[in-house]
Amino acid sequence: MILEKVGLSIGRRLSVAVVVTMLAGPTGPFDIPLFATPSVPAARGVARLVYASSPFGVAVTADGRARYDVQVTASGLPAPEKLGAFNSYVAWEVTPDLDKWVRLGTVMNGKSTVGQAELNKFLFVVTAEADSTASKHAGPTVLHGTSPSGWLQSFLTHPLFRGVY
Amino acid sequence: MRIPIALAALLCAALTAAGAQKPVAPVPKPVPPSGITGMKGMPGMQADTGKPAPVAKVPADTNPMDGMQMSGMGHGGMSMPIPMPPGMPMMPGLVGLVPSVSSFLPGAGVDPMSLPAVKASSVARLKDGDTLDLTAMLVRRTVRGHAFVMYGFNGEVPGPLIRVPQNATITVRFHNRIDLPSTVHWHGLRLDNKYDGVPDITQAEVAPGGSFVYKVHFPDAGVYWYHPHVREDIEQPMGLFGNMLVDSPDRNYYSPVNQEQALMFDDLLVHADSLIPFGRESPDFALMGRVGNVLLVNGETHYALNAHAGDVVRFYLTNVANSRTYNISFGGAQMKVVASDQSRFEHEAWVPSVVLAPAERYVVEVRFDHPGSYALVNAVQAINHYKGEFEPEVDTLGTVTVSGSAAAPDFSRQFATLRSNAAVSRDIAPYRKYFNKPPDKKLTLTMQSTALPLATVQFMSIDTAYFAPVEWVDGMPDMNWLSTAKEVRWILRDDATGKENMDIDWHVRQGSVVKLRIFNDPKSFHPMQHPIHLHGQRMLVVSRDGVPNTNLVWKDTALIPVGSTVDLLIDASNPGAWLLHCHIAEHMGAGMMAVMHVDPR
Repeated sequence: MILEKVGLSIGRRLSVAVVVTMLAGPTGPFDIPLFATPSVPAARGVARLVYASSPFGVAVTADGRARYDVQVTASGLPAPEKLGAFNSYVAWEVTPDLDKWVRLGTVMNGKSTVGQAELNKFLFVVTAEADSTASKHAGPTVLHGTSPSGWLQSFLTHPLFRGVY
Repeated sequence: MRIPIALAALLCAALTAAGAQKPVAPVPKPVPPSGITGMKGMPGMQADTGKPAPVAKVPADTNPMDGMQMSGMGHGGMSMPIPMPPGMPMMPGLVGLVPSVSSFLPGAGVDPMSLPAVKASSVARLKDGDTLDLTAMLVRRTVRGHAFVMYGFNGEVPGPLIRVPQNATITVRFHNRIDLPSTVHWHGLRLDNKYDGVPDITQAEVAPGGSFVYKVHFPDAGVYWYHPHVREDIEQPMGLFGNMLVDSPDRNYYSPVNQEQALMFDDLLVHADSLIPFGRESPDFALMGRVGNVLLVNGETHYALNAHAGDVVRFYLTNVANSRTYNISFGGAQMKVVASDQSRFEHEAWVPSVVLAPAERYVVEVRFDHPGSYALVNAVQAINHYKGEFEPEVDTLGTVTVSGSAAAPDFSRQFATLRSNAAVSRDIAPYRKYFNKPPDKKLTLTMQSTALPLATVQFMSIDTAYFAPVEWVDGMPDMNWLSTAKEVRWILRDDATGKENMDIDWHVRQGSVVKLRIFNDPKSFHPMQHPIHLHGQRMLVVSRDGVPNTNLVWKDTALIPVGSTVDLLIDASNPGAWLLHCHIAEHMGAGMMAVMHVDPR
């Protein structure tokens, strides 16, 4: 209501809502900005990675991969039915080569706590699905982002490794 | 320059005598170690050859390098190798540079063969009022077939395992017979401040040849350890550490097990036939801390244990490495964590592995169901910062060999039960009202640097897109080696006053409950995890990143991952001046410590 009174557009209001919702939650080391596909142009979102709880100082798998609780804050998602024969939005942790999709949980406008991410590098993808419990993705992608670890890049061809410095 | 054999023999005799508590000859002044000299000069001021360092493959049979490569750096005609991970070149801009400190290795030219061979740790079962003589001395240790001069308490690595009943007080007569000043810090114990072993705060350094008498009180059951608090970056990896197990009078404190084992995890940084020297004036490897390439359990490269099928073994795990954080598991054997530094957990929990930061302890119980071999492994995800890739690493640290004969007694039923420890929850209950109070103190963890080599600065400035919660391995050993406490300053910054490190002078009243919020700034020049240790008190990790901790345990060391905000609740019960510091030895050596005064009521 206040945002309406100050004259912010619907899109701006949704963005502000995303930020406010994020600030209300626990702090996390990483936020993944989510990009909307053309089918949902008003959608916004952020996936916050929070270190999962553990008896130890940091939560990892037996082979040492970090485990994160994923909290999604989204806005502007239309009712899934508007995109076709769908009834829910589902979040997935996906390997960068799109080879492996792991279902994390359902996503709605507002805050959704989905499952734990534990791949070293991953894409975070939200799809519209006909079955909210689907273990395989079938519907269209509406939001997507990249884990910060995906930003690691090779420096071996950098001038540093050619003796420039 | 080697000292004459006769002199070495005399020194050896003197050191042996020291172990028997007789008067000893003074330790000779250190001299440059044979074969490696001249680690001097200022990084960044060296001539840049612009040529890649020569790289030599390590022979396949030299297991500790495990495929690591050596980048040789010509310096004064000497080869100064630093192990590089496989496939990782040394950055050309760093070739030819050396740390800005001169080199130090223990023994200063003493022939290792003139020294007594190191002994395995003994168990010193002591009762209230007993006395123990503890002598830091030179020993000969053989690693990968090469004999080195190193240190040991009473000639042992680890030092004697001190096992005492809760509430006992013992006398420890410490004798320093190594070639550096030293002290003994009784890590985790809430003892009398004057026996805490911190030079310039609770006592003077014990000079070579000197002694100091400690009264060591054990108020809390748990697993503790002792180590020097002078140049830990040198004295710990050279062998000066030992465990202390404090037994509760409650016979059911832990579940019944078939065996108990104390494991101390350590690592050494070695070239094919030499230890990599330490900085004499201040620590080198100041960016990440010294991460060894030879992993050790109880001082040995391969730990071995025999068990019966179905045996339940309680392991007391202690990380005594300078910098390495471990992720320990037992070949898929079922494992539950039951206790940590200073108490049991409120609730036992099944765990796939144990994350063990420097100075932390965890107690786990493991059941070996079937005959066969179970590998004790450290499994982590290394990051190759040069290639931008994760690289899984698995180091096999030992083997548990399980015979076909059945465990007797059979504790499978007790093992299958996850206990909740009401006594721990009752002990914590009076503190719960403080869990949600605003922080009394806030610290930010960060760092500053000056005069690092240009190539290091350039690389670290562009490699900022991602930080790992924990840097499990040294992904940039060339840059790390060249950083010393002269160029790197690690910082504890008091948010309220802006004061840093030893300028922080906190005073709290004995009996107060202090909430300390620590933020590990991911935007620092080199974000990295920090195991923060508070001397002489106990504390609870009440929340991480705003998420309440629902399974509490009393701690003295807490891992703060990169980017994380951790709330610690300190039970300030023990009066005195107590150090708060990062337990990565080189980070502390580069300034990362402060003092909290607990003023008497």
